[in-house]
Amino acid sequence: MLPQIILSYLQQAAREARTEIPDQNTSLFDAGLLDSFSLVEFVTLLETEVGLKVSDADLRPETFDTVAKIEAYIANAGVAV
Amino acid sequence: MSCYITACGAALPERIVTNAELAPMLGVAPEWIEANSGIRERRWVEAKQSASDMAAAAVRDAVRQAELPAEAIDYLIGGTLSPDYQVPGIAPLVQHKLAGCRMIPALDVRVGCAAILYSLQIARGLIASQAANTVVCFGAEAQSKGLDLNPRSAELSMLFGDGAGALVVSNQPANKLSLRVDDVLLATDGSFAEELGVRAPGTGNGARWMDAEELHLPTMNGRTVILHAVRKLTDAAHEILDRNQLSLDQIDLLVPHQANLNLLRALGKKLEVSDDRVVVNLDRYGNTSGAAAFLALRDAQALLKPGARALVLAFGAGFTWGAALLQTIGMSGKNANTT
Repeated sequence: MLPQIILSYLQQAAREARTEIPDQNTSLFDAGLLDSFSLVEFVTLLETEVGLKVSDADLRPETFDTVAKIEAYIANAGVAV
Repeated sequence: MSCYITACGAALPERIVTNAELAPMLGVAPEWIEANSGIRERRWVEAKQSASDMAAAAVRDAVRQAELPAEAIDYLIGGTLSPDYQVPGIAPLVQHKLAGCRMIPALDVRVGCAAILYSLQIARGLIASQAANTVVCFGAEAQSKGLDLNPRSAELSMLFGDGAGALVVSNQPANKLSLRVDDVLLATDGSFAEELGVRAPGTGNGARWMDAEELHLPTMNGRTVILHAVRKLTDAAHEILDRNQLSLDQIDLLVPHQANLNLLRALGKKLEVSDDRVVVNLDRYGNTSGAAAFLALRDAQALLKPGARALVLAFGAGFTWGAALLQTIGMSGKNANTT
Protein backbone atom coordinates (compact mmCIF):
# COMPACT_ATOMS: atom_id res chain seq x y z
CA MET A 1 0.00 0.00 0.00
CA LEU A 2 1.32 3.41 -0.97
CA PRO A 3 1.16 6.48 1.25
CA GLN A 4 -1.55 8.85 0.02
CA ILE A 5 0.89 11.52 -1.06
CA ILE A 6 2.84 9.05 -3.20
CA LEU A 7 -0.35 7.64 -4.66
CA SER A 8 -1.50 11.18 -5.49
CA TYR A 9 1.84 11.93 -7.15
CA LEU A 10 1.62 8.84 -9.33
CA GLN A 11 -2.03 9.54 -10.16
CA GLN A 12 -1.11 13.03 -11.29
CA ALA A 13 1.82 11.69 -13.32
CA ALA A 14 -0.52 9.15 -14.93
CA ARG A 15 -3.00 11.88 -15.83
CA GLU A 16 -0.22 13.94 -17.41
CA ALA A 17 0.91 10.88 -19.36
CA ARG A 18 -2.71 10.19 -20.33
CA THR A 19 -2.58 6.74 -18.87
CA GLU A 20 -3.25 4.95 -15.61
CA ILE A 21 -1.03 3.71 -12.86
CA PRO A 22 0.19 0.37 -14.20
CA ASP A 23 0.04 -2.94 -12.39
CA GLN A 24 2.35 -3.65 -9.49
CA ASN A 25 5.26 -4.99 -11.51
CA THR A 26 5.23 -2.81 -14.62
CA SER A 27 7.98 -0.24 -14.98
CA LEU A 28 6.84 3.27 -14.12
CA PHE A 29 9.43 4.54 -16.58
CA ASP A 30 8.07 2.41 -19.42
CA ALA A 31 4.54 3.49 -18.50
CA GLY A 32 5.57 7.14 -18.79
CA LEU A 33 4.92 8.07 -15.15
CA LEU A 34 8.56 8.66 -14.25
CA ASP A 35 11.58 9.95 -16.14
CA SER A 36 15.10 10.97 -15.18
CA PHE A 37 14.05 14.32 -13.76
CA SER A 38 10.70 13.51 -12.22
CA LEU A 39 12.55 10.73 -10.39
CA VAL A 40 14.56 13.42 -8.56
CA GLU A 41 11.28 15.03 -7.54
CA PHE A 42 9.83 11.68 -6.55
CA VAL A 43 12.74 10.82 -4.27
CA THR A 44 12.56 14.29 -2.73
CA LEU A 45 8.90 13.65 -2.02
CA LEU A 46 9.69 10.33 -0.36
CA GLU A 47 12.27 11.99 1.84
CA THR A 48 10.45 15.18 2.74
CA GLU A 49 6.83 14.05 2.89
CA VAL A 50 7.04 10.36 3.77
CA GLY A 51 10.02 10.74 6.04
CA LEU A 52 12.31 8.21 4.39
CA LYS A 53 16.04 8.66 4.14
CA VAL A 54 17.11 7.05 0.88
CA SER A 55 20.71 5.91 1.26
CA ASP A 56 23.25 6.54 -1.47
CA ALA A 57 23.37 2.82 -2.20
CA ASP A 58 19.60 2.76 -2.74
CA LEU A 59 19.57 5.92 -4.82
CA ARG A 60 19.10 4.13 -8.13
CA PRO A 61 16.15 4.10 -10.54
CA GLU A 62 15.64 0.35 -10.12
CA THR A 63 14.78 0.92 -6.45
CA PHE A 64 11.64 2.82 -7.44
CA ASP A 65 10.72 1.60 -10.90
CA THR A 66 7.55 -0.32 -9.99
CA VAL A 67 4.73 0.16 -7.53
CA ALA A 68 5.67 -3.13 -5.87
CA LYS A 69 9.25 -1.99 -5.29
CA ILE A 70 8.16 1.36 -3.90
CA GLU A 71 5.75 -0.35 -1.51
CA ALA A 72 8.43 -2.81 -0.41
CA TYR A 73 10.97 -0.05 0.08
CA ILE A 74 8.62 1.97 2.25
CA ALA A 75 7.59 -1.10 4.21
CA ASN A 76 11.23 -2.11 4.81
CA ALA A 77 11.99 1.38 6.03
CA GLY A 78 9.34 0.90 8.70
CA VAL A 79 7.35 3.94 7.73
CA ALA A 80 3.72 3.76 8.79
CA VAL A 81 1.33 4.29 5.88
CA MET B 1 48.14 31.70 2.03
CA SER B 2 45.37 32.86 -0.28
CA CYS B 3 45.35 32.16 -3.98
CA TYR B 4 43.55 33.95 -6.77
CA ILE B 5 42.15 33.17 -10.18
CA THR B 6 43.58 36.07 -12.11
CA ALA B 7 42.32 35.17 -15.57
CA CYS B 8 40.00 32.80 -17.39
CA GLY B 9 40.65 31.69 -20.95
CA ALA B 10 38.64 29.74 -23.49
CA ALA B 11 38.92 28.09 -26.86
CA LEU B 12 36.03 26.80 -28.92
CA PRO B 13 36.06 25.05 -32.29
CA GLU B 14 34.68 27.08 -35.16
CA ARG B 15 32.33 24.38 -36.36
CA ILE B 16 28.82 24.80 -34.94
CA VAL B 17 26.63 21.70 -34.94
CA THR B 18 22.98 22.59 -34.53
CA ASN B 19 20.25 20.26 -33.34
CA ALA B 20 18.88 20.33 -36.88
CA GLU B 21 22.16 18.86 -38.15
CA LEU B 22 22.59 16.32 -35.38
CA ALA B 23 19.02 15.11 -34.95
CA PRO B 24 18.76 13.02 -38.15
CA MET B 25 21.91 11.09 -37.22
CA LEU B 26 20.38 10.23 -33.87
CA GLY B 27 16.90 9.47 -35.19
CA VAL B 28 15.20 12.17 -33.12
CA ALA B 29 13.65 15.58 -33.73
CA PRO B 30 15.68 18.76 -33.11
CA GLU B 31 12.99 19.91 -30.71
CA TRP B 32 13.35 16.69 -28.71
CA ILE B 33 17.03 17.42 -28.14
CA GLU B 34 16.33 20.91 -26.86
CA ALA B 35 13.43 19.78 -24.68
CA ASN B 36 15.49 17.01 -23.11
CA SER B 37 18.74 18.90 -22.65
CA GLY B 38 18.32 22.64 -23.17
CA ILE B 39 21.04 22.41 -25.83
CA ARG B 40 20.50 24.25 -29.12
CA GLU B 41 23.94 23.81 -30.61
CA ARG B 42 27.41 22.63 -29.74
CA ARG B 43 30.90 22.98 -31.20
CA TRP B 44 32.80 20.08 -32.71
CA VAL B 45 36.48 19.98 -33.57
CA GLU B 46 37.75 19.26 -37.05
CA ALA B 47 39.55 15.98 -37.75
CA LYS B 48 42.96 17.61 -37.48
CA GLN B 49 42.20 19.15 -34.06
CA SER B 50 42.80 17.38 -30.76
CA ALA B 51 41.96 18.08 -27.13
CA SER B 52 45.49 19.34 -26.53
CA ASP B 53 45.10 21.83 -29.39
CA MET B 54 41.98 23.19 -27.73
CA ALA B 55 43.66 23.21 -24.33
CA ALA B 56 46.76 25.02 -25.56
CA ALA B 57 44.60 27.69 -27.19
CA ALA B 58 42.62 28.18 -23.97
CA VAL B 59 45.80 28.41 -21.90
CA ARG B 60 47.25 30.97 -24.32
CA ASP B 61 44.05 32.99 -23.98
CA ALA B 62 44.21 32.79 -20.18
CA VAL B 63 47.84 33.90 -19.88
CA ARG B 64 47.16 36.68 -22.38
CA GLN B 65 44.26 37.86 -20.23
CA ALA B 66 46.52 37.70 -17.19
CA GLU B 67 49.17 39.68 -19.07
CA LEU B 68 51.72 37.02 -18.29
CA PRO B 69 54.26 35.36 -20.55
CA ALA B 70 54.13 31.57 -20.77
CA GLU B 71 57.51 31.60 -19.01
CA ALA B 72 55.70 32.67 -15.83
CA ILE B 73 53.77 29.40 -15.51
CA ASP B 74 55.19 27.24 -12.73
CA TYR B 75 52.81 24.29 -12.96
CA LEU B 76 50.28 22.97 -15.46
CA ILE B 77 47.30 20.86 -14.42
CA GLY B 78 44.73 19.60 -16.89
CA GLY B 79 41.74 17.33 -17.21
CA THR B 80 40.07 15.68 -20.17
CA LEU B 81 37.88 12.70 -21.00
CA SER B 82 39.04 12.77 -24.59
CA PRO B 83 42.84 12.78 -24.46
CA ASP B 84 45.03 12.87 -27.55
CA TYR B 85 46.57 9.57 -26.47
CA GLN B 86 46.18 6.96 -23.76
CA VAL B 87 49.79 7.71 -22.80
CA PRO B 88 51.22 10.29 -22.33
CA GLY B 89 48.66 12.52 -20.69
CA ILE B 90 47.37 15.75 -22.15
CA ALA B 91 49.30 18.11 -19.87
CA PRO B 92 52.77 17.36 -21.33
CA LEU B 93 51.36 17.88 -24.84
CA VAL B 94 49.97 21.25 -23.83
CA GLN B 95 53.26 22.23 -22.21
CA HIS B 96 55.00 21.47 -25.51
CA LYS B 97 52.50 23.57 -27.47
CA LEU B 98 52.97 26.67 -25.31
CA ALA B 99 55.74 28.74 -26.84
CA GLY B 100 58.08 29.89 -24.13
CA CYS B 101 56.78 27.56 -21.44
CA ARG B 102 59.55 26.18 -19.28
CA MET B 103 60.01 22.47 -18.50
CA ILE B 104 57.62 22.76 -15.61
CA PRO B 105 55.62 19.94 -14.01
CA ALA B 106 52.60 19.05 -16.16
CA LEU B 107 49.99 16.90 -14.50
CA ASP B 108 46.77 15.20 -15.67
CA VAL B 109 43.79 14.87 -13.35
CA ARG B 110 41.39 12.11 -14.43
CA VAL B 111 38.24 13.13 -12.64
CA GLY B 112 35.88 13.74 -15.53
CA CYS B 113 33.70 16.79 -15.26
CA ALA B 114 34.99 17.68 -11.80
CA ALA B 115 38.42 18.59 -13.24
CA ILE B 116 38.06 22.26 -12.38
CA LEU B 117 37.62 21.52 -8.68
CA TYR B 118 40.36 18.93 -8.35
CA SER B 119 42.84 21.08 -10.28
CA LEU B 120 41.94 24.14 -8.21
CA GLN B 121 42.47 22.23 -4.99
CA ILE B 122 45.89 21.06 -6.17
CA ALA B 123 46.79 24.57 -7.35
CA ARG B 124 45.78 25.97 -3.98
CA GLY B 125 48.00 23.47 -2.20
CA LEU B 126 50.95 24.12 -4.49
CA ILE B 127 50.70 27.85 -3.89
CA ALA B 128 50.22 27.47 -0.14
CA SER B 129 53.32 25.27 0.05
CA GLN B 130 55.22 27.74 -2.14
CA ALA B 131 56.00 24.99 -4.63
CA ALA B 132 54.53 27.32 -7.27
CA ASN B 133 53.49 30.93 -7.62
CA THR B 134 51.52 30.63 -10.84
CA VAL B 135 49.56 27.51 -11.74
CA VAL B 136 47.51 27.11 -14.89
CA CYS B 137 44.55 24.73 -14.71
CA PHE B 138 42.63 23.64 -17.78
CA GLY B 139 39.85 21.36 -18.95
CA ALA B 140 39.65 20.39 -22.61
CA GLU B 141 37.56 18.09 -24.76
CA ALA B 142 37.43 16.83 -28.31
CA GLN B 143 34.84 14.25 -27.38
CA SER B 144 32.79 14.52 -30.56
CA LYS B 145 35.35 12.12 -32.02
CA GLY B 146 34.19 9.41 -29.62
CA LEU B 147 30.43 9.73 -29.92
CA ASP B 148 28.20 6.93 -31.13
CA LEU B 149 26.15 8.80 -33.73
CA ASN B 150 23.31 6.29 -33.86
CA PRO B 151 19.74 6.30 -32.54
CA ARG B 152 20.63 3.80 -29.82
CA SER B 153 22.88 6.47 -28.23
CA ALA B 154 20.71 9.52 -28.90
CA GLU B 155 20.26 10.45 -25.23
CA LEU B 156 24.02 10.54 -24.71
CA SER B 157 25.35 11.75 -28.03
CA MET B 158 22.98 14.74 -28.19
CA LEU B 159 24.72 16.22 -25.17
CA PHE B 160 28.39 16.56 -25.89
CA GLY B 161 30.39 19.37 -27.34
CA ASP B 162 34.05 20.25 -27.68
CA GLY B 163 36.05 23.12 -26.27
CA ALA B 164 38.47 24.13 -23.57
CA GLY B 165 38.78 26.49 -20.67
CA ALA B 166 41.75 27.55 -18.56
CA LEU B 167 42.42 29.44 -15.36
CA VAL B 168 45.52 31.25 -14.19
CA VAL B 169 45.84 30.72 -10.44
CA SER B 170 48.36 32.92 -8.68
CA ASN B 171 49.66 33.75 -5.25
CA GLN B 172 48.81 37.41 -5.83
CA PRO B 173 45.67 39.10 -7.19
CA ALA B 174 45.76 40.83 -10.54
CA ASN B 175 45.20 44.54 -10.99
CA LYS B 176 41.95 44.34 -12.95
CA LEU B 177 40.02 41.38 -11.56
CA SER B 178 40.66 38.37 -9.41
CA LEU B 179 38.60 35.64 -7.87
CA ARG B 180 39.96 34.68 -4.49
CA VAL B 181 39.68 30.94 -3.89
CA ASP B 182 38.24 30.80 -0.38
CA ASP B 183 37.54 27.08 -0.14
CA VAL B 184 37.39 23.88 -2.17
CA LEU B 185 35.44 20.80 -1.15
CA LEU B 186 36.03 17.48 -2.91
CA ALA B 187 34.52 14.01 -2.66
CA THR B 188 34.51 10.66 -4.43
CA ASP B 189 32.29 7.58 -4.29
CA GLY B 190 33.94 4.88 -6.37
CA SER B 191 31.05 2.47 -5.82
CA PHE B 192 29.38 4.22 -8.78
CA ALA B 193 32.40 4.01 -11.08
CA GLU B 194 30.57 1.81 -13.58
CA GLU B 195 27.69 4.25 -14.04
CA LEU B 196 29.51 6.76 -16.20
CA GLY B 197 32.62 6.34 -18.28
CA VAL B 198 34.60 5.07 -21.22
CA ARG B 199 35.93 1.62 -20.44
CA ALA B 200 38.45 0.96 -23.16
CA PRO B 201 41.29 0.89 -23.64
CA GLY B 202 41.79 -0.44 -20.15
CA THR B 203 43.03 -3.43 -18.24
CA GLY B 204 39.69 -3.97 -16.51
CA ASN B 205 38.10 -5.42 -19.62
CA GLY B 206 39.60 -8.88 -19.85
CA ALA B 207 42.77 -10.26 -21.34
CA ARG B 208 43.47 -7.39 -23.69
CA TRP B 209 42.95 -3.63 -23.65
CA MET B 210 40.36 -3.62 -26.41
CA ASP B 211 38.97 -7.18 -26.36
CA ALA B 212 35.31 -6.37 -25.86
CA GLU B 213 33.53 -4.59 -28.69
CA GLU B 214 32.43 -0.98 -28.36
CA LEU B 215 33.85 -0.41 -24.89
CA HIS B 216 35.58 2.64 -26.33
CA LEU B 217 32.19 4.37 -26.56
CA PRO B 218 30.98 6.51 -23.65
CA THR B 219 28.30 4.96 -21.44
CA MET B 220 26.09 6.55 -18.83
CA ASN B 221 23.29 5.34 -16.62
CA GLY B 222 21.61 8.71 -16.90
CA ARG B 223 18.94 8.19 -14.28
CA THR B 224 21.41 7.17 -11.61
CA VAL B 225 23.81 9.95 -12.58
CA ILE B 226 21.09 12.60 -12.37
CA LEU B 227 19.81 11.36 -9.01
CA HIS B 228 23.27 11.44 -7.51
CA ALA B 229 24.38 14.66 -9.18
CA VAL B 230 21.46 16.59 -7.72
CA ARG B 231 21.90 15.08 -4.26
CA LYS B 232 25.68 15.36 -4.09
CA LEU B 233 25.84 18.88 -5.46
CA THR B 234 23.11 20.04 -3.11
CA ASP B 235 24.94 18.50 -0.16
CA ALA B 236 28.30 19.90 -1.31
CA ALA B 237 26.83 23.39 -1.62
CA HIS B 238 25.37 23.29 1.86
CA GLU B 239 28.53 21.81 3.39
CA ILE B 240 30.97 24.33 1.93
CA LEU B 241 28.67 27.21 2.86
CA ASP B 242 28.15 25.91 6.38
CA ARG B 243 31.86 25.60 7.06
CA ASN B 244 32.38 29.17 5.83
CA GLN B 245 29.45 30.54 7.84
CA LEU B 246 27.64 31.59 4.68
CA SER B 247 24.16 31.02 3.29
CA LEU B 248 22.98 30.59 -0.27
CA ASP B 249 21.51 34.10 -0.10
CA GLN B 250 25.08 35.36 0.04
CA ILE B 251 26.04 33.64 -3.19
CA ASP B 252 25.62 35.85 -6.22
CA LEU B 253 26.11 33.19 -8.87
CA LEU B 254 26.06 29.44 -9.03
CA VAL B 255 28.54 28.20 -11.60
CA PRO B 256 27.64 24.57 -12.21
CA HIS B 257 29.06 21.98 -14.54
CA GLN B 258 26.95 22.30 -17.68
CA ALA B 259 25.51 18.80 -17.82
CA ASN B 260 21.92 19.27 -18.93
CA LEU B 261 19.56 22.21 -18.44
CA ASN B 262 16.91 20.03 -16.81
CA LEU B 263 19.50 18.91 -14.27
CA LEU B 264 20.55 22.50 -13.60
CA ARG B 265 16.92 23.47 -13.07
CA ALA B 266 16.40 20.55 -10.70
CA LEU B 267 19.52 21.60 -8.80
CA GLY B 268 18.39 25.23 -8.62
CA LYS B 269 15.00 24.13 -7.36
CA LYS B 270 16.55 21.91 -4.70
CA LEU B 271 18.83 24.72 -3.56
CA GLU B 272 16.03 27.30 -3.90
CA VAL B 273 18.20 29.46 -6.15
CA SER B 274 16.42 31.37 -8.91
CA ASP B 275 17.33 30.72 -12.54
CA ASP B 276 18.88 34.17 -12.96
CA ARG B 277 21.58 33.25 -10.43
CA VAL B 278 22.62 30.11 -12.28
CA VAL B 279 25.18 30.46 -15.06
CA VAL B 280 24.08 28.56 -18.16
CA ASN B 281 25.93 28.35 -21.45
CA LEU B 282 25.17 24.79 -22.50
CA ASP B 283 22.53 26.06 -24.90
CA ARG B 284 25.45 27.26 -27.06
CA TYR B 285 28.24 24.82 -26.20
CA GLY B 286 26.49 21.65 -25.10
CA ASN B 287 28.00 19.59 -22.31
CA THR B 288 31.73 20.04 -22.72
CA SER B 289 32.49 17.65 -19.84
CA GLY B 290 35.86 18.49 -18.28
CA ALA B 291 35.84 21.93 -19.91
CA ALA B 292 32.28 22.89 -19.04
CA ALA B 293 32.72 24.46 -15.61
CA PHE B 294 35.84 26.30 -16.83
CA LEU B 295 33.79 27.84 -19.64
CA ALA B 296 30.95 28.65 -17.25
CA LEU B 297 33.36 30.36 -14.87
CA ARG B 298 34.76 32.37 -17.75
CA ASP B 299 31.22 33.61 -18.42
CA ALA B 300 30.53 34.18 -14.71
CA GLN B 301 33.67 36.24 -14.26
CA ALA B 302 32.26 38.95 -16.49
CA LEU B 303 29.09 39.14 -14.40
CA LEU B 304 30.56 39.41 -10.94
CA LYS B 305 30.96 42.76 -9.26
CA PRO B 306 33.71 43.37 -6.72
CA GLY B 307 32.89 41.55 -3.51
CA ALA B 308 30.49 39.16 -5.19
CA ARG B 309 30.66 35.47 -4.39
CA ALA B 310 30.43 32.56 -6.79
CA LEU B 311 29.92 28.90 -5.99
CA VAL B 312 31.32 26.45 -8.52
CA LEU B 313 29.66 23.01 -8.46
CA ALA B 314 30.80 20.05 -10.50
CA PHE B 315 30.01 16.35 -10.69
CA GLY B 316 31.64 13.74 -12.86
CA ALA B 317 32.65 10.18 -13.52
CA GLY B 318 33.83 8.24 -10.52
CA PHE B 319 31.58 9.59 -9.08
CA THR B 320 33.64 12.65 -8.21
CA TRP B 321 32.13 15.94 -7.16
CA GLY B 322 32.55 19.01 -5.05
CA ALA B 323 32.31 22.75 -4.76
CA ALA B 324 34.56 25.78 -4.79
CA LEU B 325 33.81 29.06 -3.07
CA LEU B 326 35.15 32.15 -4.80
CA GLN B 327 34.94 35.86 -4.12
CA THR B 328 35.83 38.67 -6.50
CA ILE B 329 38.24 41.39 -5.64
CA GLY B 330 39.14 44.31 -7.89
CA MET B 331 37.28 45.59 -10.93
CA SER B 332 34.65 43.48 -12.67
CA GLY B 333 34.18 42.86 -16.35
CA LYS B 334 31.25 44.10 -18.44
CA ASN B 335 28.75 43.13 -21.08
CA ALA B 336 27.59 39.67 -20.13
CA ASN B 337 24.36 37.92 -19.23
CA THR B 338 23.37 35.02 -17.06
CA THR B 339 20.85 32.54 -18.46
